[in-house]
Amino acid sequence: MEYTIGTIAPIILFPLVAFVINAFCGRKLPRQGDWISCIAIFLSFLWCARIFCDFYYNQYSSDFYIHKVFNWIDLSWGTGPSKASGFKVDMGIFIDNVAAIMLLMVSGVASLIHLFSTFYMKGDPKYGKFFVYLSLFSAAMLGLVLSDNLLSVFIFWEIMGFCSYSLIGFYHEKNAAGDASLKAFMTTRVGDVCFLLGILAIWSIVGNVNFVDIYQALHQGSFTTLSIFNITISAASFAGLMIFLGTIGKSAQFPLQVWLPDAMMGPTPCSALIHAATMVAAGVYLSLRMYPLMEAGDLTTLIAFVGAITAFGAATIALVQTDIKAVLAFSTISQLGYMVMGIGVGAYSASFMHLITHAIFKACLFLSAGSVIHSLHDHHTHGHVQEMPRMGGLKKKLPFTFFAMTCCTLAIAGVPFFSGFVSKDRILGDALYWGSKHGTYHWIVPLLGFSAAFLTAFYMFRMMYLTFYGTPRDQAVYDSCHQEKLSFNRNIPLLILSVFTLGIFFSGSLTGQQKVKLPIVKFEWFETLVQKPQLFKFSSFKKENFGLKDTREIKALIPSVYGHNQTLSEQEAHETHHAHFLGAIISIILAFSGILLAFLMYLRKSLDPSNWVNFFPRWTKALKERYYFDYLYQEILIKKVLLRLNYYLAKFDLDVFDRIAIDGWQNVSRCLYRAHRVFDEYFIDRLAVDGSGKSIRLFNMFLRYAQTGKVQIYFLIFLVVLISYLFKLKI
Amino acid sequence: MMMGLTSYLLISLFLMICGIIIMIARKNIIAILLGIELILNASALNFVAYSKFVAKNFDGQIFTLFIIVVAAAEAAVGLAITIRHFQISESIHIDDATQLLA
Repeated sequence: MEYTIGTIAPIILFPLVAFVINAFCGRKLPRQGDWISCIAIFLSFLWCARIFCDFYYNQYSSDFYIHKVFNWIDLSWGTGPSKASGFKVDMGIFIDNVAAIMLLMVSGVASLIHLFSTFYMKGDPKYGKFFVYLSLFSAAMLGLVLSDNLLSVFIFWEIMGFCSYSLIGFYHEKNAAGDASLKAFMTTRVGDVCFLLGILAIWSIVGNVNFVDIYQALHQGSFTTLSIFNITISAASFAGLMIFLGTIGKSAQFPLQVWLPDAMMGPTPCSALIHAATMVAAGVYLSLRMYPLMEAGDLTTLIAFVGAITAFGAATIALVQTDIKAVLAFSTISQLGYMVMGIGVGAYSASFMHLITHAIFKACLFLSAGSVIHSLHDHHTHGHVQEMPRMGGLKKKLPFTFFAMTCCTLAIAGVPFFSGFVSKDRILGDALYWGSKHGTYHWIVPLLGFSAAFLTAFYMFRMMYLTFYGTPRDQAVYDSCHQEKLSFNRNIPLLILSVFTLGIFFSGSLTGQQKVKLPIVKFEWFETLVQKPQLFKFSSFKKENFGLKDTREIKALIPSVYGHNQTLSEQEAHETHHAHFLGAIISIILAFSGILLAFLMYLRKSLDPSNWVNFFPRWTKALKERYYFDYLYQEILIKKVLLRLNYYLAKFDLDVFDRIAIDGWQNVSRCLYRAHRVFDEYFIDRLAVDGSGKSIRLFNMFLRYAQTGKVQIYFLIFLVVLISYLFKLKI
Repeated sequence: MMMGLTSYLLISLFLMICGIIIMIARKNIIAILLGIELILNASALNFVAYSKFVAKNFDGQIFTLFIIVVAAAEAAVGLAITIRHFQISESIHIDDATQLLA
């Protein structure tokens, strides 16, 4: 396949054009233009699938990449060798196996969610507007995946942030939605500022921000030290930390996780697309891309701990949530924590695999939750019902939704043969190995990971049992639910997604890769395609211009280049295998015990959850308050610290700056003005301007008398002058 | 007694002073024209005197001839102006000729 403008640009342009059309004339179109968005994203999906098939079937090695650039800003002057010294920004595309898989996932999930939105948002007064945002978001997300440099990643990142903001506040008539959108925007802004700082740091070191140049610079050791306020720190640590803070903001990791639960104020399809499948995963994707930098900066331990804390903390909060979407939101945070933990413990491909599997099953879970919420109606408030205590017994009424949600719940709980098991188990296995390798306090990470796995199984099945099993707890709400019929835009997306929750799609090798003769027999296509970037290989391909023709040499998968664990010794490989085996057994046991516990508590009711609540009253309260993070940020950080700081700053501004600097300057200039005015009036006007006129008038008075018109007088004057000259000459 | 340069110059000075006094004191335009003639003659006399005693050639005499011609022409013009003035203001009194006053 050729990588030209014609095969790459449409991926972004289709949704972008749909966005432009819908934004400006969507209202005049039939069905408010939703079909434009749906067709556009589906076409993007086809184009992405083409790229994916190319990468998948041509078996490019894991270090193969396509990097094409075009000039965006060129302020360099002249030609020749000095041209490189000018300010120059290149934009371009960077596709490797990771990007190809990501493209397929993003465009596929996005098109299914577009389809589902035509069902879910039907009859909404702002139906067309929703598709406008969805299209813009899809364009930005696909653009982010295709980006070859951090700058364009940042641009698309911010566009996504805007779409997220708009969609969370989609029902901005509700105060809570408006507050939630602001909260999400402001919280991610903290991370984004750090991300921008990281980009600038890299720019100052490398002189360029595209991935290939960064990898090359890392390989050559250009990242030495930075000096900030005379404190010398490692450049890679600083840049990596700043970029990881961007990830923390966008992927809702530990200190900045507060925005994601509130983001559920948006319509459910947008939660599925933005706050579960793609945008929050973009943070993890960025960290994966910048993995060599983080490794070089010795940040992996920090990353692992942040991920583990997030995974465990969010899972515990999810235990006490009653809102079906809030449970899913916290499980999203928890699963994102797994991915970040996976990056930290070096489980590069497992972490990315979890990103993909999670995107699929979590999108499906959100869509199913949307389907449930949409079918339940409260006659008093004329709104939809999201509270699980008012649900129950919906299994018969919503069979397809139930089926899809069961598949996804099994997947997220880590039941064998489902995708979540494959990916999560690999992360946990690597975490176990990592813990055993480093020892001491590093054991906390796998411990938290396994506890979170247990909790995940428990709270997900709690949600399932409360929603679908048992007897209806609110009869009026139950009666409002109509029997579900198979419809193409409600159930088909769910069923398609639920098919892909099967582990076989990720663990096995369905096609192609068996043909590769490998030193170690390994049939997992995912692991074959996705490996940690090896820095020394990034000089093997030349940068090419992005144009209408493809001038690239095609480099197929070379067996000698390929090889999993090739950097590991035999003993290490054995230990890894051992850890994975152990991890798999532990996680299977934990998953089933979690399911069993949920079964006993919520279906058999042989165990009463309230006992536990009474046993840990303070902890339960803390969980209900989400570990007081909202309190901490809003009441203490914002109201006590920032508002006070704001007050003093305002006071400084008003009293010192305004009073002294502004007013003082005003007084000074007023005095100067007065002095100037006096000078102007008395010296310039009176003396210079009027004075010269008056002096001329004075001479005029004398000269007028001389001007008699009498020739004799003139003659006399002439004589006098002549004689005076004579005297002058003589003297 | 030898007639020296000084006596010529004295006569010439006398003539010129006479002419100037006439030009200033008399009010009759024709008298003023006569005064101008006297000044011209004084200068012509100077030319001749210097030519004779200093340059010792005939340049001064030739120049004097030119001065006489110019004086004649000037007298003709002056008289013409006087007649014209008389036609306009019925007077040849110099104080009546104040048209130069703005």
